[in-house]
Amino acid sequence: MAKHHVNLKVNGDEHDLLVEPRKTLLAVLRDTIGLTGTKEGCSTGDCGACTVIVDGEAVTSCMVLGVTASGKEITTIEGLAGDGELHPVQQAFINTGGYQCGFCTPGFIMASKALLDENPNRSEEEFRHALGGNICRCTGYTKILEAVLKAAEEIRTTA
Amino acid sequence: MRNFEFFEPTTLAEASRLFAQEHTQLLAGGTDLVIGMKALTEAPQSVISLQKIPGLAGVTTESDNSISVGAMTKVRAVELSADIQQHHTALAEGAAEIGSIQIRNLATIGGNIAHASPAADTVAGLLVADAQVDIASADGERTVSIDELFTGPGQTVLAPGEIITRFRLPSPASGSHYIKHKIREVMDLAFIGVAAAVNLNDGVITDARIGLAAVAPTPIRATEAENLLNGNQLTAELLAQAGEAAAAAASPISDLRCSAEHRSEMVNVLTRRTVQEAVNRA
Amino acid sequence: MSDYTVVGQTVARVDAVEKVTGAAQYGADVHPPGMLYGKIVRSKQAHANILSIDTSEAEKLPGVKAIITQDDVPSGRRVFATDKILYLGEPLAAVAATDPDIAEEAAELIKIEYEVLPVVQDVMEAIKPSAPRLHGDGTKDGPNRREIATQIRRLTRDKENDHSDEISKLEAELENYPDEVYYNISAESHSDAGDIEKGFAECDVVVEDTYVIPRVHQTYMEPHVSVASADSSGKVTVWASTQGPFAIRSGIAGTLGIPLTQINVIGTTMGGGFGGRFGVIITHVPAVLLSQKSGRPVRVQMTREEEFTDGRPAPGCVIKLKTGATNDGRILARQALAFWDSGSVSGASIGSTIRVRGVYKIPNLKVDAYGVHTNKSGTAAYRAPGAPQAIFAGESQLDEIAERIGMDPVKFRLMNMREEGDPIPAGATEPKVGYKETLEAVADAAGWWDREAGENQGWGVAVGDWTNGCGPGGVYVAVHEDGSVRIFHGSMDITGTDTAISQIIAEILTVPYESVTIRRGDTDSAPYSTGSGGSVVTFTMGNTAKLAAEDAHQRILELASERLNMNVDNLELRDGEVHVVTADPPKSILLGELAAYSLSTTGGPIVGKGSFARQASTPALAAQIAKVEVDPDTGRTRVLKLVASQDVGFAINPMAVEGQIEGGTVQGYAWAMMEEMQYGEDGNINPGFVDYRVPTSADLPTVESVIVEVPAPNGPYGAKGVGEPPITPTLATMANAVKDAVGIRVTELPIKPEKVVQALQSNGH
Repeated sequence: MAKHHVNLKVNGDEHDLLVEPRKTLLAVLRDTIGLTGTKEGCSTGDCGACTVIVDGEAVTSCMVLGVTASGKEITTIEGLAGDGELHPVQQAFINTGGYQCGFCTPGFIMASKALLDENPNRSEEEFRHALGGNICRCTGYTKILEAVLKAAEEIRTTA
Repeated sequence: MRNFEFFEPTTLAEASRLFAQEHTQLLAGGTDLVIGMKALTEAPQSVISLQKIPGLAGVTTESDNSISVGAMTKVRAVELSADIQQHHTALAEGAAEIGSIQIRNLATIGGNIAHASPAADTVAGLLVADAQVDIASADGERTVSIDELFTGPGQTVLAPGEIITRFRLPSPASGSHYIKHKIREVMDLAFIGVAAAVNLNDGVITDARIGLAAVAPTPIRATEAENLLNGNQLTAELLAQAGEAAAAAASPISDLRCSAEHRSEMVNVLTRRTVQEAVNRA
Repeated sequence: MSDYTVVGQTVARVDAVEKVTGAAQYGADVHPPGMLYGKIVRSKQAHANILSIDTSEAEKLPGVKAIITQDDVPSGRRVFATDKILYLGEPLAAVAATDPDIAEEAAELIKIEYEVLPVVQDVMEAIKPSAPRLHGDGTKDGPNRREIATQIRRLTRDKENDHSDEISKLEAELENYPDEVYYNISAESHSDAGDIEKGFAECDVVVEDTYVIPRVHQTYMEPHVSVASADSSGKVTVWASTQGPFAIRSGIAGTLGIPLTQINVIGTTMGGGFGGRFGVIITHVPAVLLSQKSGRPVRVQMTREEEFTDGRPAPGCVIKLKTGATNDGRILARQALAFWDSGSVSGASIGSTIRVRGVYKIPNLKVDAYGVHTNKSGTAAYRAPGAPQAIFAGESQLDEIAERIGMDPVKFRLMNMREEGDPIPAGATEPKVGYKETLEAVADAAGWWDREAGENQGWGVAVGDWTNGCGPGGVYVAVHEDGSVRIFHGSMDITGTDTAISQIIAEILTVPYESVTIRRGDTDSAPYSTGSGGSVVTFTMGNTAKLAAEDAHQRILELASERLNMNVDNLELRDGEVHVVTADPPKSILLGELAAYSLSTTGGPIVGKGSFARQASTPALAAQIAKVEVDPDTGRTRVLKLVASQDVGFAINPMAVEGQIEGGTVQGYAWAMMEEMQYGEDGNINPGFVDYRVPTSADLPTVESVIVEVPAPNGPYGAKGVGEPPITPTLATMANAVKDAVGIRVTELPIKPEKVVQALQSNGH
């Protein structure tokens, strides 16, 4: 089966790759490019651990064929902090204890970042609902919501 | 996942020609196909992406408020479309019930329908919108009504090479609503889904439509319940009769999620609730 | 207020930045050069004889580098099924290939011929004589037959006297219990106190019910994974996502007959465990075997589906429970007969049935428990193993009694709770535990005493107890010439324990928390450490860390004494400096200066060592209150309020402790309301997150946590293990709230909408 030429811009870096059609974007990011911050928790799109941002939208990268991501801009957890500064969501997760084992955390942070970019003025209920695609087994979500609300407040006040 | 040849045609004709071959699958958003291929329930030799074909995505509204939704429109865009929210509330609500935002950013309305799951969350909303489904192939175009599209679980009237291009929603009902019976608030598949749409004329119901998902081998309309409602003002008694008529129209199965009896009961309950809410909104 | 400056304070965790930036290395992130991808070949039948395994087609597939079956296990210890398959998903072989998709294709190409056998999945069916047998006969007497049989055996042994009349009478009595022979029994456990018959006879109210608790999966977010690399000298390195690297080391050594010194286990960052990450066979041993055969590093990683079919989840069980009390609210007797579904191997936590006793003075108690084989995978620990199941039964039934005698459920519990000095089994007495304080705290915080409920709303309360474990551990501490402190140990961080250890050492060495760093070693380098399960880490490693820091502290004073020419008694370590207590003007030396001095003279590096074995631990209580609203037409339940208190002894890092309480409570909520591994003729039928429902943030309100601190005598600063208790009461809390809301008692979990609708209908709704 023919491999396809795939050009990805990941966290600002260009990657020219030859990819088998059956490889998911998640597999390309983790196995080919070596960015292992994005996690595989279920492989069926149901846990959100593999969430990355593609052209500004959060998607579950385990459901995307790598060949269809060619030409797109991708942000992963590794690309979120800039110039040694953590993104407000990352800092908020630290300050509130919004993670425990940390395996779901990259996905949660990327999903939260996309939501905050879209609209930081959501209510707690709206954030609870909008983050429903990410499963966390450790925290019971209380401190994750605290973190996202805190980051939203910070983004609102600095915007 | 088995390996396959991957094609990204840029015209519908080319896509249709490729798709007419055996052992091929169309890739729209991928949220069903990629998962199916991982589970080996799907092992196509060729996958034909529709993502590079221009003009298949987007929501457009005509002056008579009829709406056209491209098959490659993301479910998230359907959910957030102000026109769909206003004129086909049940469809927007159904779209919002699918998976997570991350999944809705990938999944397309065409894929949700072409997959032909009786439990698809957009299907009840399309049924009560009386949606017309435009289908293209290398041989030309045709249109079928949404309630004629499905022939069984995973089965449609689509012939080899035929591709859904858009859904046309004619003049809207003034009030509609969709409720899904589930356990989890989000990320659950529909135990059942019920959509209702009505117009009101001086308090009298006209054009009642009730769509049911996950209660039969295909999504269905509850026409007897609709007939009961049409030409009448809504009363508690009428609502109860409509609920029972809708439940009678259902022929659900028992599975690991719940029993057939529970599904029938929920059709009754949720028909009453969706009709009441559709009337409230009308 | 405490006098402490670091312990008892909320601090950011030591692994904060790596966890929020994606830098933390989990098991599947390990990728040594040349690594192959392993895949386990699994049974597609739930119960069958294996007729043949044909690997020839798979061997021909390009990219396949090794295929192993039980024939490749030199020790002969069972890693793969050989003659008989006992559950769907049981490992039969494993493949290593250059690409994960090739490994999967190869696995599919391995042809297995089966002779299919009848399947049994329900424990109550499995104990019947008609059930298919998994392991030979497995027959055991039930509690009544067992007692009679014991008497017969005793009389038969007495050769001095003639008991033949008595024996034949007893043998005749055995005939009264023909149904009390159980089949497919894997283990049994019996205990009693007082006189159960007499106890029930004195009761005004007796309630009897059967509780059914489903098998649930720990659902750590990172599926099982290990990477193994066997070199040509025979040395084996295993990167393992595990709660216990030392247990994995000895497990691999035992299973494969490799000397301990030839195995190095490197614990990677762990994506959750909850008790389920101690297994050796599941991925670690196949990875080692594949690496040995292929000569290359191999990663074996389970999919989520494999987790459900071949994980080691928490056992489901059926508990027949009977409780009696007097009209004035004294619980006099409780009796349980439990059948635990241990799956195809023994190991279900049947001993936890005793937890139906709760924290109450119940003078007459009888507990009989059996582990039962079914065609499922084996089970393992899950957060307070066995306790949530037993406590669900106990605390549900307590509410039924309270209702019948017309007593408030909180008051009823407070009235019956054990107090300091009360006798407990094995001749001991109850230590000081904050049972009442914890229940009162949750009642106050939730507003129990002036609670209001609208239509179809209700409140539920329950408590659950658990005692942390303990085990050996070792810690080294080094003080550097810049005044920083480095900790080295071998215990896996289980969501915040490295932080607690760092806090304790900073406290004792009086340095800022920020100047302490901690490193975990592998089993080749680090001192032995007990596994991170059973809420042991803060208790064990906290005590160990204290010893190490105190050792360093002692050394620091000795060095300062030498440097300052002062008697040790006249020196004090405070704020990172050694002060001369009586000096005027003040005189002191910085820790860093002292460390530098010691390096340049004869002192050498400042090193402290802590080695700890065990100390008695103290029970902990979790108490919870939920307010729910039930939709009587759809049967859906919404939680409006969830408040959880816990006696934690002492909260070393309050934010982390709250996190444990919140997370455990939500796992309990999930078990009560939605989680359930479902089985059919063919095995597990919901092996994924679509139909195995784990709650999301949208299902829950904020969990309000309340920390209660009644110090444990042997805990570091009074701390108790906090991880396990919070899951124990929630199952009953939810069921009790639903009962209060709409008047139905759900005894079979989870409380799914359909069950609620059915129960309401039979109540006339």
